[in-house]
Amino acid sequence: MTLQFGPILEQWPYLLGGAWLSLQIAVLAFGFGMFIGLVCASILRYGPAFLRRVVRAYVTFATNTPQLVQIFFLFFGLPEIGVTLSPYTAVLIGATFNAGAYLCEIQRAGFESVRWAEIEAAEVLGFSTPQIVRHVIFPHVMKVMFPPLSNQFIVMTLGTSMASIFGVEELTGRTSNIASQTYLSVEAFSVAALMYIGITILATFALAMFGRHVCRAKIKVF
Amino acid sequence: MAGSMMTQLTHLFSYYNLLLLLEGFAATFVLSAIGCLAGFVSGFVVAVLRITRSRAMAPVRIVVFAYCLVFRRVPFLVTLMLVFFATQSLNANLSTFSVALISVCLIASAYLGEIVRSGLESIHVNQWEAASTLNFSYLETLRYVIVPQAWRVIVPPTFGFFVMFIKDTALASQIGVMELTSAGKVLSNKGFSATLVYGAILVLYFLMSYPLSRFGKRMEKKLAATRNR
Repeated sequence: MTLQFGPILEQWPYLLGGAWLSLQIAVLAFGFGMFIGLVCASILRYGPAFLRRVVRAYVTFATNTPQLVQIFFLFFGLPEIGVTLSPYTAVLIGATFNAGAYLCEIQRAGFESVRWAEIEAAEVLGFSTPQIVRHVIFPHVMKVMFPPLSNQFIVMTLGTSMASIFGVEELTGRTSNIASQTYLSVEAFSVAALMYIGITILATFALAMFGRHVCRAKIKVF
Repeated sequence: MAGSMMTQLTHLFSYYNLLLLLEGFAATFVLSAIGCLAGFVSGFVVAVLRITRSRAMAPVRIVVFAYCLVFRRVPFLVTLMLVFFATQSLNANLSTFSVALISVCLIASAYLGEIVRSGLESIHVNQWEAASTLNFSYLETLRYVIVPQAWRVIVPPTFGFFVMFIKDTALASQIGVMELTSAGKVLSNKGFSATLVYGAILVLYFLMSYPLSRFGKRMEKKLAATRNR
């Protein structure tokens, strides 16, 4: 068996475009997921018992079933009640649904790490509620949450490879295209694997820098 | 709509379809169980190799470090495809199930290696030094001093990983392994309503992973309680 990387590497702009799309899906799902997670975590902390139960059911369900089957359900199940989703939207909704649950758990744990005594101390010092959130809760929570959040982002970036199953042409999808055009499957997928490693290492570094300087989290890169 | 759902439901749970679902369930279970157990054992070996200090072990450390780095940063789907095509082009006549099994073990040992290593490293260096003063050998130190203390750091994330792992095996359907997700595909190709079929599959996955995550949570609480003693 001889490996030929030439024909694969010729198509690097195509692959890089795929990588860009992967990253785009991950960032969008992460952003929406953060929002859902924030709402859910606030409900878990301050909401009424009924809503808390709903949120807990959502988190338990989403974290205990595979994202792939969730997206299958959305993509093939929803047309039966008249909602047709494009592959991209189905994948994005599925990824967001899943990420929301995990990010809710992370943010809940972050909120719980703030002790009431800290907030009370700030109140005694005459901080207003927005000031407490801005100067007491936020820095503390970000410092605690940042490592699991960046970890979750990496996991989600890897998870976007699922999108190829539904025909979204991101990195894995484009790799299979190239593999079936050139019959060089091993080489194509090795290149894709290296690209994924590169993307995630870059993302880890960028997030670590951001975390260290903006959130003052203690992060070891490796 | 609701009426046709009901008739479909009774058809869905006919003997052969149930058998198919059961087979899929068993395959997913076997795949994740073997992956978890083999992964934990080899992950332990990986972790022990990574925390060695001697100069002679440096090349091994580098290899093991690279292994953990690579397999934790490549998506499961891509690993599956790579193993699949690599075994094909090497003319190893493997079934898709064994291909899935190989990739599952590769990934699990990389992730669990990292988890176990972080647990072992959480034990202070003083403990190693104290043990060597008492003339414990390397393996004795691990067995009697380090592992009993590192255990409570290792167990909670390990269960978290197991739960994640059961869900990841769903991707094995993509190379044609007959597991739960593929059983769902077959049934929906037979003409059953996709909502119904994938709903059932979701419930089956939930049944498999929920007890495990509950058990993991309980272990976590138990271990955390002893830690604060």
